[in-house]
Amino acid sequence: MQPDEILDYLIPGIMLGALYAVIAIGYTLVYGVLQLINFAHSEVFMVGAYSALLALTWIDPSTNPTALVSVLLVAAGLAVSGTAGAATAFALEKVAYRPLRRRNAPRLAFLISAIGASYFLQNLAGKLFGRDSRALPTLFENKKVFSVFGTQVTILQLLIVCAAVLMMVGLDYLVNRTKLGSGIRAVAQDAETAGLMGVDIDKVISRTFIIGGFMGGIAGFLFGLHLQLSFTMGFLPGITAFAAAVVGGVGNIRGAMMGGMLLGIVESFSSPIFGESWRYVSAFAVLVLVLMFRPTGILGERLGRSA
Amino acid sequence: MRAPNFFYKGLGFAVLKRRVIKIALPIAAAALVLSACGSDDDGDKKKDGGSTAPGNSGGGNKPTWTIGFQAGLSGENAQLGINEENGARLAVEQANAKGDLPFTLKFKTSDDEASETKSVSAAQKLIDDSNVVAVIGPAFSGPTKAASPNYAKAKLATVSPSATNPSLTNPENNFTAFLRGAPNDNAQGGGMAKYLSKKLQVKKVFVVDDKTEYGVGLSKVAKDELTKAGVQVVSDSVPKATPDYGPISTKIKNSGADAMIYAGYYQDGAPFAKKLKEAGFNGPKFSGDGTNDAQFVSLAGDAANDWFLTCPCADANVEAATKQFTDDYKKRFNTNPSTYSAESFDIANLVIDQMKSFGAEKITREGMLTKLKGASYKGLTKTFKFKQNGEFDGATTFIYQVKGGKIGYMGDIDQLVGG
Repeated sequence: MQPDEILDYLIPGIMLGALYAVIAIGYTLVYGVLQLINFAHSEVFMVGAYSALLALTWIDPSTNPTALVSVLLVAAGLAVSGTAGAATAFALEKVAYRPLRRRNAPRLAFLISAIGASYFLQNLAGKLFGRDSRALPTLFENKKVFSVFGTQVTILQLLIVCAAVLMMVGLDYLVNRTKLGSGIRAVAQDAETAGLMGVDIDKVISRTFIIGGFMGGIAGFLFGLHLQLSFTMGFLPGITAFAAAVVGGVGNIRGAMMGGMLLGIVESFSSPIFGESWRYVSAFAVLVLVLMFRPTGILGERLGRSA
Repeated sequence: MRAPNFFYKGLGFAVLKRRVIKIALPIAAAALVLSACGSDDDGDKKKDGGSTAPGNSGGGNKPTWTIGFQAGLSGENAQLGINEENGARLAVEQANAKGDLPFTLKFKTSDDEASETKSVSAAQKLIDDSNVVAVIGPAFSGPTKAASPNYAKAKLATVSPSATNPSLTNPENNFTAFLRGAPNDNAQGGGMAKYLSKKLQVKKVFVVDDKTEYGVGLSKVAKDELTKAGVQVVSDSVPKATPDYGPISTKIKNSGADAMIYAGYYQDGAPFAKKLKEAGFNGPKFSGDGTNDAQFVSLAGDAANDWFLTCPCADANVEAATKQFTDDYKKRFNTNPSTYSAESFDIANLVIDQMKSFGAEKITREGMLTKLKGASYKGLTKTFKFKQNGEFDGATTFIYQVKGGKIGYMGDIDQLVGG
């Protein structure tokens, strides 16, 4: 790799990292309030992508949209996928986790319930939408917007990074500055005391799922634009994002953002340095290295205290 | 008490966090393994229905024999398997409808989801059915490699329309029941190399494989043949289901290669094509029969344009010999025949032909295997003959190019290059 090629790999890395970060936040938020790894989150991601596919193929039959139409289509995709993701996560919590919580089920039961819900959604999507890959309709011509030192940045890359940054800034504000945010932090710090102080724990948990699902759904749509859709599309990004959440410090929102970026960039650079087949080896080597020196992740704090 | 027990302070957060990290990695690994086992097993239930065609009821006590079929009929890259299934099914139905068979023919499918791990049990399903006298498939090289030892043990002949990895016929494998119904990847890789070096006269080619049995085999042959022709070769492997084809596309662009070859399937070829276009790589782009499917174009959209796709298969829709077949196929399945449909139809007829030659004798698996090995059958697409090791006898590669959203047929590479 030549020094002048660094940006060629850094920009796709940032894009992928931004996607991982947004998904990782979904894992981390839920972990923060429930100490539960929501393995079905990767399916929330997939549902977001497919809902956008359904909505957009229904709205748009034109193959060559104008700039204004493009903006509207992307906005519609974001809205639909976010809503569908939020709804799926909400239902998931109601169906797969709340009954277990009510009965004080052992932790292992939550994990099995999560994996079960994940398979259910995955195969339901496979049945409904077919097992073959699908592509989202062309929403815009993906040309370059500008170049940075000779490296082109495409509309899609810009869109993904902007959407991710906006969501992350919004979430940071929400968690640190609003009433719901202090509720989330309170539940994460000490659910029992929070309950005694008048925080409605069930409501807070449910809303946390909704926020994570909203971001996950949008990430699914953006990932679908970048690659394509299939009923198993959530699995690999989900596992990587989960790793990102762990690298950053599980339960820590800013940590999840950092972890996602780190893994995305490492994956991207592994291609020119080691070869493309070392992508996951490099990413997971970083995971192991970080955990060896900082067993609780880079930022290593829980949601409650990170604020 | 509403809060569940794990909120209690006794299970403090620090403990949980360390524990979660200890647990998380094995779980992630287990999930990876599990994900390979999700299954969809109603695939053949609904498909077995149409196996006995009408016009066959006067047969009295004719014996019933079954032709098995194994391919990926669901899951990723299922379209190729479905093309083949339809072709073979049509042949069986037509043979039954004619009414001159000394037996009633059934058709039994077994879905391996194009997966090596599931191939063995998919094969076992056919082996266990003593009525199955020969199998068409498996469609892909990886599943073929996994299932062939069992087929060999059962002496159940498999004729694959599309498992083109050269190593499958290595004598040391002992895949004694495997017959290849198509020229192998040596022919395709050689064809690509010939077209690139002689017709397009490129100087440097970037070869990418997808780490599958098929991709690695095809890319190796292409690389060897290109090097022999004096073309400089650079290569890399991109395992399938990579989340981002951006970096590899940039790498190809920056390598200064004039042309590229992707040895893999359409599922990943499509996003790759998109990213190559974005990266601004404008040289000729080649891929093999794994990508030669309308799905490639529908997934990749504009980015599929100008891709060259090779195939040991001629275009059934264009070639005059397959006109009748194309019409029948359209009538039966409401869609045009696609990659390997006609080849699969031919192979089914080859199998039926050998079954007929038993006459009044009882058909045995072993007998079928011997007869198939010695067969010479002129089908619609080509003449099927096999070498002693089960290799297809003959080597022709056809080339196609995507133009305006359609895969256009160009013809026989040898003829196009001129020698």
